Amino acid sequence: MKNLYNHPFSYLLLSLIVLLVSCKRDLDELELATNPTTPEVFLDAFSAGLNYAAFGGSDVRAFQTDTEVKYQGTASMRIAVPDFEDPAGAYAGGVYFTSAPRDLSGYDALTFWAKASKSASIDLIGFGNDLGENKYQAAIAGLPVNTNWKKYYIPLPDAAKLTAERGMLFFSEGPEDGKGYTFWIDEVKFEKLGTIAHGRAAIMNGEAAKVNAETGNTFTVVGFSEFNLPNGVNQRVETAPAYFTFNSDNPSVATVGPTGQVKVMEAGTAVIKATLAGKDADGSLTITSTGEPVLPRTAAPTPDKPADKVISVFSNAYENVPVDFFNGYWQFSTAQTFDVKVEGDDIKRYTQLNFVGIQFTAPTIDASKKSHFHMDIWTPDQINPSTVFKILLVDLGPDGSFEGSDNSSFEVTIPSSMLRSESWISLDLPFSQFPGLTSRAHLAQIVLSGDLPNVFVDNIYFYDDGTGGVVPGPAVAAPNPTPLAANVISIFSDAYTNVAGTDFNPNWGQATVVTQELIAGNNTLKYNGLNYQGMQLGSSQNVSGMEFLHLDFWTKNSSALNVFLISPGPQEKAYALTVPTNGWSSVDIPLSAFGGVDLKDVIQFKFDGNGTIYLDNIYFYKKGSGGGGTTPTVAAPTPTRAAANVISLFSDAYTNVPVDTWRTDWSSAKLEDVTVAGNAVKKYSALDFVGIETVTNKVDATGMTHFHMDVWSPDFTLLGIKLVDFGADGAFGGGDDKEHQINIDAPAKGQWVSLDIPLSDFAGLTTRGHLAQYILVGQPTGANTVYVDNVYFYKTGGGGGATAPTTAAPTPALAPANVISLFSDAYTNVPVDTWRTDWSSATLEDVTIAGSAMKKYSALDFVGIETVANKINATEMTHFHIDVWSADFTFFGIKLVDFGADGAFGGGDDKEHQINIQAPAKGQWVSLDIPLSEFTGLTTRGHMSQYILVGQPTGTNTVFVDNVYFHK
Amino acid sequence: MYSTIKSIKGPLATGMLWAAILLFLTNCEVDDAQMLDQRDWQLVWSDDFDGALGQSPDPTKWTYDIGRGDNGWGNQELQTYTNRPENIGMDGKGNLVITARRETFAGAPFTSARIKTQGLFAQKYGRFEARMKTPYGPGLWPAFWMLGSNIETIGWPLCGEIDIMELRGQEPSIIAGTLHGPGYSGGAAISKNFSLGNGRFDTDFHLFAVEWGENYIDFFVDQVLYQRLTPADVTGEWVFDEPFFMLLNVAVGGNYVGFPISATPFPQTMVVDYVRVYKEKGQ
Repeated sequence: MKNLYNHPFSYLLLSLIVLLVSCKRDLDELELATNPTTPEVFLDAFSAGLNYAAFGGSDVRAFQTDTEVKYQGTASMRIAVPDFEDPAGAYAGGVYFTSAPRDLSGYDALTFWAKASKSASIDLIGFGNDLGENKYQAAIAGLPVNTNWKKYYIPLPDAAKLTAERGMLFFSEGPEDGKGYTFWIDEVKFEKLGTIAHGRAAIMNGEAAKVNAETGNTFTVVGFSEFNLPNGVNQRVETAPAYFTFNSDNPSVATVGPTGQVKVMEAGTAVIKATLAGKDADGSLTITSTGEPVLPRTAAPTPDKPADKVISVFSNAYENVPVDFFNGYWQFSTAQTFDVKVEGDDIKRYTQLNFVGIQFTAPTIDASKKSHFHMDIWTPDQINPSTVFKILLVDLGPDGSFEGSDNSSFEVTIPSSMLRSESWISLDLPFSQFPGLTSRAHLAQIVLSGDLPNVFVDNIYFYDDGTGGVVPGPAVAAPNPTPLAANVISIFSDAYTNVAGTDFNPNWGQATVVTQELIAGNNTLKYNGLNYQGMQLGSSQNVSGMEFLHLDFWTKNSSALNVFLISPGPQEKAYALTVPTNGWSSVDIPLSAFGGVDLKDVIQFKFDGNGTIYLDNIYFYKKGSGGGGTTPTVAAPTPTRAAANVISLFSDAYTNVPVDTWRTDWSSAKLEDVTVAGNAVKKYSALDFVGIETVTNKVDATGMTHFHMDVWSPDFTLLGIKLVDFGADGAFGGGDDKEHQINIDAPAKGQWVSLDIPLSDFAGLTTRGHLAQYILVGQPTGANTVYVDNVYFYKTGGGGGATAPTTAAPTPALAPANVISLFSDAYTNVPVDTWRTDWSSATLEDVTIAGSAMKKYSALDFVGIETVANKINATEMTHFHIDVWSADFTFFGIKLVDFGADGAFGGGDDKEHQINIQAPAKGQWVSLDIPLSEFTGLTTRGHMSQYILVGQPTGTNTVFVDNVYFHK
Repeated sequence: MYSTIKSIKGPLATGMLWAAILLFLTNCEVDDAQMLDQRDWQLVWSDDFDGALGQSPDPTKWTYDIGRGDNGWGNQELQTYTNRPENIGMDGKGNLVITARRETFAGAPFTSARIKTQGLFAQKYGRFEARMKTPYGPGLWPAFWMLGSNIETIGWPLCGEIDIMELRGQEPSIIAGTLHGPGYSGGAAISKNFSLGNGRFDTDFHLFAVEWGENYIDFFVDQVLYQRLTPADVTGEWVFDEPFFMLLNVAVGGNYVGFPISATPFPQTMVVDYVRVYKEKGQ
């Protein structure tokens, strides 16, 4: 508890008290037989003999009486809680106490009404704080208040003890999330309710706590009480030790004082229990004492490091730097510190160690040229397999302050395998084991913790093992990559053009320190103190055509290292790398090792593990470079153009038009039908030229804009493509034939080359309504092999040729009150029986694109949608709205059907009308917003039941549908 | 057996006088003005719950409702009822204990128990009493009550319901006595509260009773009559001239009491010292 306010402003306080206290009497000299039982504390003013004092550090003017806001009567107590860093005070808090004690033993609760300017939780409020020993303090911690007046109860833990109490009410409350607010308290009085019930008490949180101890250890037993309030809810009361009667069943082992102070006297076991108001409290503290502390029998090993290589914090062997303290007695720390001497050696003894801080800030220690932290420890405690000891080093950064954002720290855990009971253990920890300690030029704290309650510590120092604290990296550059650039997608390498815009240090909350260093002139990526580390690629990479991920990596101190590929989702997969390395290690990871990752859409890399890692030459590649590989191992890229925009001669992706032959008999080449990675491919070998014909079914490519073909060859030096149109007469010759040949010199070898040639480039091909011949020419003449796939004409436009929308339909903006929605994320939808009746001729899928749910109808001829069970009354509506997207429809129809007053199909009163849209725009969202007046046959619409969508080409078009609604 | 329940101060006065008396009684001022007919009650049925610790209720006197009923026994109650010793049994000290627990069992978030004399004992008119200590805490709903035996044939609320006592755990100082019947059931039931003021029903035993005869039902807590209901008081047909059977239960949640909250203490017990039924001599 804070002390009585003591501040230059105190005269204000005193004057306030004088104003408010009218009946004050000095009772010091009177020895009353019984104290007054006055129950009132504050009804509309201070009750007789009541004073107020604010706590030190609080805003002394936080409390005022308030005649505006009150629960009852003429005034309430108003407490204005200050904002964070308010110069007037950090919090609101104070005590209402009487000059003369009162006898409260006839009451069972302190009650009051309270409300606040916002929902909040009052840190502490209660009674029994008398600005003295606060012997019988009782309070509620975290009392919730809100903007409504509510009655609150603070039960008296043991009224019989309160025959002479001066502390009537106290409170302490800080800002909520940094913000001040106001709360009011009114009608404060002690009451005998008779409805406070089921009281119980507990020490040690009601648990049977156990602790191991040595003679001289001290503990504090704390307790609480709990009562059921008149509303049936239990209320915990923070209850001062004096309410309890403590008992030790073995005082020769451990004594317990009236305030719960336990002192261990000798070896043995003692159980501390307590009663409150004559009833046993739940919980106990069992102390198992091993008696007099066990000391090391020998001094710690004498340090052997040269003094000029050492900065010592605590050692007889060196001159020590100034130390602020060897125990900061921080909050929640139970650690005790003693100085002991063994064989003339000074040793720090820590007992009851949960954690303890050693601090040196005047000045901080610059260990940037040191390589190791050293400490000798000795423990009498048992070492179990799970026992650990932890050492945390804290550096304050250049600002030399605990505040600020440049602090760094790292905690090393010493496992049980490195610990011994009753032996000196010398810990020599290289700074590389403190990777999060990004600076060690301003070291200020060593924090010890773990599972050893008793630890003797000696020879705490930092030293240099001769390296000057420099952890050597690789001396040579990573090996030069060998794949051809054409076969590579490079992320990080000096040998290739890397994917642009990659972020090599995205903030994913990692501790890793990322730098790029020149090593033998080669830019190298360095991860210092890796925990995990991401890379955000500058753009999504389709690496499905690649075969391997290549990495060069180097590490001396890592014991775990994984690399992850990540596609959206995120879908990620780890691959473990062998560490540490002996020099540079190169790995070529088959991409098949990254199962589950969408190799068409790789967006990120991730590494995890530990230690300091150097990385270089991170790239994807495929084999089959110019000199090697005679056959493709991967399929040609899958076409992405909408089928509606394509006339295909040969592709697994489309329905192909009939082709008479893929090798006319006048050709000079060998044809084989082969399969590459599951994909059908035409293989022409010994190629001079080859004729392909569609004479029987000539191709009309007048609507097309491009000719496409994928080719792969290990050895061609030229590829020629001649297209021939037979003209209107439909026959070879006849004077109207048109043709043109395009030659590609030195096409890329050993990889799929996608040719997209504008038909306008075929300048001599002045007609293309009757295309009948396609002649391929290869060089070296008769001595080259070409694989061919995806031969088709296509046209651009119509939305870029995608087969599905990539964006959501436009979000409707109409007010919901004006809409009856069947299907939309933007509205509450009415019930729809079915989105595909069983008499439909279409396939329905529910799909989500760009986060928006939509209906996908494929193989669409017609589809019925019904609201028969819950017919829609659209008489007040003026429009029917539907958003549609299709890559390939040429016609779209919408029929609306009203089942009439009889509510059933047929019956003579059905009304319907169909609106047809010819040649709707493809590859884009089309918002159809059709006035219902245009459905002229739909003369009633009070019982809307059917909505029939029709698409053409019949049974071969796909339509995405969203935002189906009526509106006005 | 003969029992005189209370001293007699004089004959029953006029209805107007009654109103004044009841007003007086709800202010918790007890006794002086109680003016009741003398009746000679003869014990005809009782259970003192004198079994050994853990013993289940006497199967010749009590039967169980098990499970969750329809829609939480018609009230959206949250518990499932069981006959497990964890939920019901003797305490070995002369009491029956029904225990409501916060535990997932048979798909419900709470367990408890409900027993009844249906099919084993029913009576028209008489004095029905139970000495009990209630559970407490928001969402707890203990009750000692009766239903018309013809519920199986004519259904509820036509069969009638006499709630000798029921309590909301968030108001451990208040019980209610209530009649349900056709036209005055559920939220429209005819009901009156009795408050202890400076005490609670969960800290000590209290005696809850009705005295029921032709055209009247009197409700008592301990020695205090706090409500008399007659055909003139109900807003529908008076259906209390048939045999009724008794029920004892602790419900958790439901639309009478509201939901339990996380701070509701569990387990909660209703401790029943005895249940006794009397008939007026000569009737």
